[in-house]
Amino acid sequence: MARRMATRWHIIAHIILVGLGILFALPFTWLISTSLKVDSKIFAENTELVPRAPFVVVTDEVLSEHARVAAQTAASPGTVGAGLKPAPTDREQAEALGTGQIREEAAPLPSPGETVRVRPLKQQGDYTLVQVYRGVRVSKEQFWVKEGAIQDKFFLNWHNYSEALKDFDFTLYLKNTLRICVLTVFGTVMSCSLVAYGLACVKWKGRELLFWLMLSTMMLPGQVTMIPVFLTFKKLGWIGSILPLVVPSFLGNAFFIFLLRQFYRTIPTELAEAARIDGCSELGIWWRIMFPLSKPALAVVGLFTFIGTWNDFLGPLIYLIDDRQYTLSIGLAMFQGQYGGFWGQMMAVSTMMVLPIVILFFFTQKTFIQGVKLSGIKG
Amino acid sequence: MSLKPSQRSMIVGLAFCSPLIVGLAVFTVYPVAASFYFSLCDYPIFDPPQFIGLANYREMFEDPRIYIALYNTFIYAILGIPVGMVCGLGLAMLLNVKVKGMAVYRTVFFLPSVVPMIASCVLWLQVLNPQNGLLNRLLRSVGIPESQIPGWFLDPDWSKIALIIMGLWGCGGGMVMYLAALQDVPVELYESAEIDGAGPLRRFRHITIPMISPILLFTLVMGMIGTLQYFAQAYVMTGGGPLDSTLFYSLYLFNVAFSEYKLGYSSAMAWVMFIVILICTFIVMRVSNKVVYYRQ
Repeated sequence: MARRMATRWHIIAHIILVGLGILFALPFTWLISTSLKVDSKIFAENTELVPRAPFVVVTDEVLSEHARVAAQTAASPGTVGAGLKPAPTDREQAEALGTGQIREEAAPLPSPGETVRVRPLKQQGDYTLVQVYRGVRVSKEQFWVKEGAIQDKFFLNWHNYSEALKDFDFTLYLKNTLRICVLTVFGTVMSCSLVAYGLACVKWKGRELLFWLMLSTMMLPGQVTMIPVFLTFKKLGWIGSILPLVVPSFLGNAFFIFLLRQFYRTIPTELAEAARIDGCSELGIWWRIMFPLSKPALAVVGLFTFIGTWNDFLGPLIYLIDDRQYTLSIGLAMFQGQYGGFWGQMMAVSTMMVLPIVILFFFTQKTFIQGVKLSGIKG
Repeated sequence: MSLKPSQRSMIVGLAFCSPLIVGLAVFTVYPVAASFYFSLCDYPIFDPPQFIGLANYREMFEDPRIYIALYNTFIYAILGIPVGMVCGLGLAMLLNVKVKGMAVYRTVFFLPSVVPMIASCVLWLQVLNPQNGLLNRLLRSVGIPESQIPGWFLDPDWSKIALIIMGLWGCGGGMVMYLAALQDVPVELYESAEIDGAGPLRRFRHITIPMISPILLFTLVMGMIGTLQYFAQAYVMTGGGPLDSTLFYSLYLFNVAFSEYKLGYSSAMAWVMFIVILICTFIVMRVSNKVVYYRQ
C-alpha cells in the first residue's frame, strides 16, 4: 500500500517536473533557435522552435506560373501596390535594397531544377513575390510563386552571427573580459586564502576582532561605499582602466575569506604542527600544506569569482570609458541599445555570451552545487 | 631573535591578514566615513563638498520620486521574495522525492541562475515583447483575448510583474540551497511522525519547515538586501520606466549619483538604505528567534 503510494508520488512528481522543466528550458531554447532563424520566421505569425526557412523548388511549371502572374500584374499596376508589405529585412539587405523598395521589372529568374531559399516580399491573392538568396546574400532574382509551392525546410541561419559580429567585436570583448576574470580569480584566490590562513591557523591577539569586523561589513550595501571608492579611484587616475576592477580582488573578499576560514578549521592542526616542528615557516605551511589541501574550497572561490566577474555589469559600467576596453556585459548592453530591433542578431550575441558559461557549468557542476550549498551554510 | 612567541605570532597573523586590513581600510572604513560626511554635504561632483547639515535628508522627505522608488521596491519585495521562495522550495521538494534523473532536472532548473544577467535581460526583453514575444504568443494561442494580453515592460501595471517573472526564472539558486537542507532532515523524524498518524501536510508544517527554517531565514534576509539593491535589470531593461513604474530605490540612487551628479544627495540615500536594511534584518531576526529552529 505504502509502496503504491510512493510510486504514485513519483509519477506525479515526474509529471510536474517535466512540465516545469519545459517551462524553464523554453526561454533558452527560444534564445538559441531565434539566433538561427531568418527574419521572416522570427516575426512570423506562428512560433516554431525548430529554425526553418522558406524554400522553393524551381520547376518549369513554377516559372510558367510566374510568367502568367507577372504579365497580369504588369497589366494592372494598381493592384500591386495594394497590401504592399515588405517583409522585415536585416540591415545589410535593407541597405542594399533601399528601405522597402521592391524592384519589379526585368528581375532575373532562377533556372529550373534548382532548389532556392527565398524571402517573401509581398503578397497578392494566392501569389507571393519572393526574392532568391544566393548563399547568405539576396540576389536580384525575383519571381511570383503560388503560396503552396513555398515549403519550409530546416535551415540554420548563421548569417545572424556573422552580421552581428560586424558590429559586436566578440573576440575583443572576450579578451577584455577574460583578462579581468583571470586577474580577479588569481587575486581573490591568493588573497582570500592567505587571509583565511591568518584567521584560522595562526593564533594571535585581535584575530577574532578582525574576523567580526569583516563579517559585519557583509551587511553593508555597496551603494554606501560606491561614491567614495569611485572618487578614490578617480584621484588615483584609474578611471578608464581595468585597475578598479582588478586591484580590489587582491585585497580579499569577506564572504570567500569566511568560506575558506571555515574550511581551514576542519583540517587537523597536527599537520601544521608537525611541519612547524620540522622548521617550516608559516608561509611554507600555507603554501605547501593548507593551499593544496583546500583545493576543493578554492575551486568554489575561483569559480564563483570567475562567474561573478564574467557577469559583472555595474563595475565595468562605472569604470570603463573606452569602448575598446568593454567587457562582454557592457558590449552586449550597448549592442542591445543600438540593434535591439534586430532580434536574430541580438539573440546570436546573447548566445555567444551565455554559451561559455553554460559549458563551464557543465564541466564544473559538482563544484558549483557545492558552492551554493556552502554559501547557505552560514544561515 | 628577541621576540616573544606571542609577539611573533602577532606579526605573522597581521602579515597574513594584511590584504584584508588594507582592503577594509581603503574599501570599507574610509568610504563609510566619507560617505557619511558627503551625505551631510552639497556635492556636485566637480566642486568640493559643502557642509549643509541634514538638508539632504530633509530633501528626501519632500522628493516625490523617493516615495515612488520606495513604493516600487516595497511592491517588488512583497511579491517577488515570497513567490521566489515558494517556487524554490517547491522545486526542491519535488526533487527531494528522489525521482530518477534528478541531476538532469536540477541542471535544467539551476542553469538559468548562472546565465549572465545582461544576457537574460536581452532574452526576456524579447520573450516579454508585447507583439512578437514568446509569452504573449503563447497567451494568444490559448485564446486569451487581445484586450487582455499584457504589455509587460510597456505597461506600468505589468512592468514590475514582468521583472518578477524574470526573477523567478532564476529561482534555481535558492532551490539548490533548500534541497541541501531538505536532504539533511533525518528520515527518522518523518517515519516516527507517520507512525503517529501525521499526514503529509502536518509533516511538512511540523517537521520540514522547522528543520529548514535557518536556510529559509537566510534566503529571506538575502532576498530583502538583494531587493533593496535591485538595480541592473531595471537599468538595462526599462531604465525605470514606463512612468517610473520600475524606478527602484537603487536605480534612482545610481541616477542621482551618476547622471545628476548629486553625490551628497545620493550618499544620503545610500545611508537611508543601509538603515532600512539594518532595521528590516533586525526585525526579521527578532521575529525569527521565536520561529527558527537551530539544531546545535
